Amino acid sequence: MSIPSSASVVIVGGGVSGCAIAWTLAQKGVKDIVVLEKDTLAHGSTGRCGAGVRMQWGAERNCQLAQFSIDFFEKANDILDYERDIEFEQTGYLIVAANEKEAAQFKKNVALQNSLGIPSVYLTPEEAKDIVPHIDTSQFVAATFCPKDGHLNPFHTTEAYALAAERLGVTILKHTKVVGVEVKNGKIEAVNTTQGRIATPIVVNAAGGWSKEIGAMAGIDIPIYVQRHQILVTEPLEPVLTPMVMGFSYNIYIQQVPHGSIMMGRSDDTEPFDLRVTSGWKFLEEMTRTCGTLLPYLRSAKIVRQWAGHYCMTEDAQPIYGPVPGVEGFYLALGFSGHGFMLAPATGQMISEMILGEPLTIDVSDLDIGRFERRELFFEYSVV
Amino acid sequence: MLIRTGIVTQKLLEKALPSPERRAQGPYAMIECFQEIPCNPCSISCPFHAILPMEDINELPRLVPDLCTGCGICAGVCPGLAIFIIDESKGDEKGHISIPYEFSPLPQKGDVVMAVDREGNPVEETQVVRVVQSKKIPTPLVTLEVSLSKIHGIRFFQPIKNEENISDDRQIYPTTTIEPKEAEEDTLKMADETIACRCEGITLGDIRRLIREGYTTIDEIKRISRAGMGPCQARTCGPLIAQEIARMTGVPIEDVDPSLHRPPTKSLPIAFFMEDN
Repeated sequence: MSIPSSASVVIVGGGVSGCAIAWTLAQKGVKDIVVLEKDTLAHGSTGRCGAGVRMQWGAERNCQLAQFSIDFFEKANDILDYERDIEFEQTGYLIVAANEKEAAQFKKNVALQNSLGIPSVYLTPEEAKDIVPHIDTSQFVAATFCPKDGHLNPFHTTEAYALAAERLGVTILKHTKVVGVEVKNGKIEAVNTTQGRIATPIVVNAAGGWSKEIGAMAGIDIPIYVQRHQILVTEPLEPVLTPMVMGFSYNIYIQQVPHGSIMMGRSDDTEPFDLRVTSGWKFLEEMTRTCGTLLPYLRSAKIVRQWAGHYCMTEDAQPIYGPVPGVEGFYLALGFSGHGFMLAPATGQMISEMILGEPLTIDVSDLDIGRFERRELFFEYSVV
Repeated sequence: MLIRTGIVTQKLLEKALPSPERRAQGPYAMIECFQEIPCNPCSISCPFHAILPMEDINELPRLVPDLCTGCGICAGVCPGLAIFIIDESKGDEKGHISIPYEFSPLPQKGDVVMAVDREGNPVEETQVVRVVQSKKIPTPLVTLEVSLSKIHGIRFFQPIKNEENISDDRQIYPTTTIEPKEAEEDTLKMADETIACRCEGITLGDIRRLIREGYTTIDEIKRISRAGMGPCQARTCGPLIAQEIARMTGVPIEDVDPSLHRPPTKSLPIAFFMEDN
């Protein structure tokens, strides 16, 4: 495919965020949008994520962004006129508190969520067992549950956005890597790619694991770090687990997908900050022990694959949205800290409003890059 | 234990055996398939629908003995050589067992062979009474006449090395090597309905459609269609999809990125990794 010599907006990254931003802008009438992807769509974090979506957060902004996104996902097949299915299923998230301290935080979280209209509830272990019959109640002291949380297919969701964007005239270039960002007199001028140069006044950095490198090309040091996170998946089983089961200090998220496979992941603080996506033995041992203890019923399930992707982390585990002081036309949609997939519709909305100078549907002006220097951080602890 | 020794236990065999009444009526298929793998030729080839349709290709075959005529088609298509046709209705203390046989040379009617048990131990000398191979029964079925009392212990045979016992015009079972060019033409000939990914039931037509839509890597095709996400992890369908991408896009097959294999190499239960070993 030939590469256009100019564009009104160039979006770097063909993950769900980049495609959502492209579609939202195009749908508002913006012409000549180009999305650049160095591999294939959803090749990075999007296509490797746990695929859950939840409104049960501890930080108000994350709650609001997730609420917006879940509203969108409920209607996304129609809005995006998608002929396959994004497979959105609202089977809920059950989040377990491993100790009293965590349980106290969960009470506060539920109060915040309820004040925003999120229908989460605080449960005893016995009540949690009604929702997940195979859970070992001796392993936790309390739980919260939100029936409107769920999961969807990341590949199909990204494809749905991409196809809808292309129908509106967006150019999506796969296998096209950005090698430079031209900035002149404090303004974005162009991006250089492996296929050629595209002159543009606006660049959106939605490059996930590679967004720090893209920032550096524009002379910006973005305060994020990238870490490998691993997941494993079993053979398909009869339906045994309805909601996503999650624990923060327990360090697990586990879900049976519609196809029947059980998918699970956990974090490892000792992981170095780099772009590896190899599979490791330590994860396999820790993950199977955690899962086999909390849900002993699953011990006989056979693992068929173990893979890895990136978390692009910020200090407060909330995204960085918006313009960059000193580089006019450079916008950031990154640092999603492991939940970029589920926030994609809101990301599209926020970035499009910022670029077009529209009032913000959710006031995310405080999620700007400047908050780290100002030390105005809102820490999100509800992250695995 | 089957998984360690490769030899099926009595308990499993009893499950597979039809009722004494049915066995007395005529030939039947004895399906000795006890491990769930993505495989269904027996079920789709049976002209009498005596092997129930599989909802999931990993299911074990289930025989309806009353519908089975003992025709042998399932035994001739089973890639695992796990089906035998047994006839205990002959009377006079002799029965017939038909065994799928892939070795060369193929015995002929009248040959005397040594019938052996599941472990390969000799049981008795017997005669080959029939050898069948056809379009519907691609793997030759060799029928032996054996003692009725020993029929459930006999599952194979060995030629007896005896000059008199070998005739000249033996059929040699051909060993074929498929050249890349031929393989390409083969996929071209394959119908859209051909199952490409057996674990997930994805057809070649589904794959072709995705390639036409612009998905020209194994990875993209997997992500959209699930082809390669099942228990075999693209070990079966991966090369076939690569070949189809190469054929349709004109890219040499060496330049089609292979599917990325991840651990574990063989599926293993969660409990296995929880142990301190």
